[in-house]
Amino acid sequence: MVDIARKNLFHDRTRFIITVVGVTFSVVLIFSQFGIYLGFMENASIIIDNTQADIWVTSKNSANFDFPVPFNERKLNKVRQTRGVTWADHIMLGWANMRRKDGGQENIEMVGFNPETGVGGPWRLLAGEVQSVKAGKSIIVDESAFAKLGVLKVGDHVEINEQKVRVVGISQGVRGFTTAPYVFTSYRAAQDLDPFSQARTVFIVARVGTGYDPREVAGRLREIRDVDVYTRDQYSWKTRLYWTWETGIGVGFGLTVLMAIIVGVVIVSQTIYSATIEHLREFGTLKAIGATNRDVYWIILKQALINALIGYTIGLAITLIAVRTLGATGMVLVIPPGLMVAVFALTVAMCATASVVSVRKALNVDPLVVFRS
Amino acid sequence: MSATLEAEQLTKIYQEGAFQVPAVQDVTLTARAGEVVAILGPSGSGKTTLLSMLGCMLRPTSGSITIHGECVSDLDETQLPWVRRRYVGFIFQSFNLFAALSAAENVEVVLQLKGLERKSRRNESRRLLDLVGLGKRADFLPRDMSGGERQRVSIARALAGDPPLILADEPTANLDAKNGEQVMKLLHAVTRSDGRTVIIVTHDHRVMPYIDRSVRIEDGKLVA
Repeated sequence: MVDIARKNLFHDRTRFIITVVGVTFSVVLIFSQFGIYLGFMENASIIIDNTQADIWVTSKNSANFDFPVPFNERKLNKVRQTRGVTWADHIMLGWANMRRKDGGQENIEMVGFNPETGVGGPWRLLAGEVQSVKAGKSIIVDESAFAKLGVLKVGDHVEINEQKVRVVGISQGVRGFTTAPYVFTSYRAAQDLDPFSQARTVFIVARVGTGYDPREVAGRLREIRDVDVYTRDQYSWKTRLYWTWETGIGVGFGLTVLMAIIVGVVIVSQTIYSATIEHLREFGTLKAIGATNRDVYWIILKQALINALIGYTIGLAITLIAVRTLGATGMVLVIPPGLMVAVFALTVAMCATASVVSVRKALNVDPLVVFRS
Repeated sequence: MSATLEAEQLTKIYQEGAFQVPAVQDVTLTARAGEVVAILGPSGSGKTTLLSMLGCMLRPTSGSITIHGECVSDLDETQLPWVRRRYVGFIFQSFNLFAALSAAENVEVVLQLKGLERKSRRNESRRLLDLVGLGKRADFLPRDMSGGERQRVSIARALAGDPPLILADEPTANLDAKNGEQVMKLLHAVTRSDGRTVIIVTHDHRVMPYIDRSVRIEDGKLVA
C-alpha cells in the first residue's frame, strides 16, 4: 500500500516532531489533571469507600465526611430497630490537635471506631492490630502522616488534645483530601479525647440484610428526625462533589483540561494545515489522476490519526512513568483504564477536529492547479 | 485506426463579472489510436483550457467529448474522477511528482487508484520504470533525480494502468535539449508500440519530429 499520508507525515520530520510534541503535551496535561483530580477524589472518600457499611447516617445538613456535625448517639437504637438493618454501629470523627515528639503541633482528623468489628477502622496495617486500640487511649497512625507527624512506631507516646496516647499500630494508604493526617482510635477513646463529643456520635453506619435494597432501607431510615441518610455510593459522591464544587477545584481542573484540548487542537491544526498548504499541488495532482474527494479526505484524516496515536502513546507512557515516580513521593495520580480509553477518544477527536480546516482546503483545490508551472 | 478521442464543437466560456470571456470556441478535434497530436499556440491561446476539458478536469460550456467510445462530457461531476482514472494518463510541465514517494511509489499511486493489488502494483511499477530506463532508480525520491529523470517517472506514471489516452502539458518545457529529446522519443515509442493516443500541448518546436500531426489554436479557435 502506498501510504501517502504516512509518507508525507514522516517526510518533514521537524514538522512531524512538533506536531507529536504538541499532542503529547496535551495528552500529558489532560492525564495529569484528570489523574490528580481522581486521586484527590479517591482520597476525599477513602474511608467511606473502605468501610464495610451499606448506609451512612449523619446529622441533618452535614456538609461532607470531613466536616460532620455531632448528634445524639441514642439514634443508633432507632437505626438498629429499622426493618432491613441487620447491623449498625457508630463512628466518631473529629478534629484534634497532636503534639509531635519534637514539640511541634499538628491538626489531625481522629476517627473513633468499634474495635470489636473494625468497621470504620484502618483496612491495611503495617504494624500492630486493629483490636489493640481497645487498650485505653491508644491510636493507629497512617504511615502517610509521618511527613507531618514525624516517624512513629508502635510503643511511642504522643499527645492528642493534651492527653497522652500510645501508638499501637501503623496503617497504610489512608490519606485524606484535607491533608490532615487520619489517626484511628476506639470510639470511646475518641469521645474521651474530645470533650465536646460526650454521648454524641457523628456517623451511624449500617448494613442491610440479604434481599434488602440499601436505597429502600435508607428511605425508611429517613423517617428518623434530624438526620440525613445515604447509601455508601451516595455519601461517597456527596463528599467528592462537595470538594469538587465548593472549593472550585472542579472548575480549575476543568479549565486546565479545556486549555490542554485547545492547545492540542491549535498545534495539530496549524501543523496539518501548513502541511496541507505545502502539498496542495500534490492533492490537485491526486485529483487530476483520478482520486476522489473521499481519497483526499482519508489521507488528511489519517495524518491526524497517526499524530493522535503516536502523541497519545508517548503521552500515556510519560504519564505512567509520572504515576510511578510521583507515587513514591506520596502524590496520588489515578489513571484507571476507563480514563485511558476516554483520553484516547478525546485525542482522536481533537486531531480529527484539527484536520477539518485542512480537509476543506484540500477538497476545494482545483485539479487545474497541476497545469500551473 | 479507431478514434480514441473525439471532441466536437467544444466551447468554454468563463463568466467574469458581467462579461463572458470565451477561452475555447467551437473546437472539433479527433485523435486516433497510435497517433501523437500536438496542440500548438502562444500563451493565453486556450491550449491548457482545451487540454483540461479533454482530460475531464473542466466541463465544457457546450460541445461533446467522447473518449474510447464513451461520451464523457455529459457525465456527472462525481463520475469524472473515475473517467480520468480509467482513460487518461497525465504528464505535466512541472512533473507534479509526490515528493515523499519514491519513483516506484509515484507510479504505484495510480495503480492503487485503479484497484490493483499490492504485488501486481509493485511488479507493474518496476516494469514501467524499466521501460522508461529508470529501473535502477525505482527507490529514489524525486529530489534525488534530474529533471529528465523526473519527467520519465512522470511518463511511467501516465502509462500506469494502460490508459488509451495520454495528455501532456508542455512536457519538454522544463528540460534541456538532450532530456527534451529523450522524453519525446520515449513518448513516441510508447505511442507506437501500444497503440495509445498522445496529445501534447506545447509551444516547443523541438517536439515536431516526434508528432504525427499538429493543430494550432489562437484566441480559443483552431486555425489550422
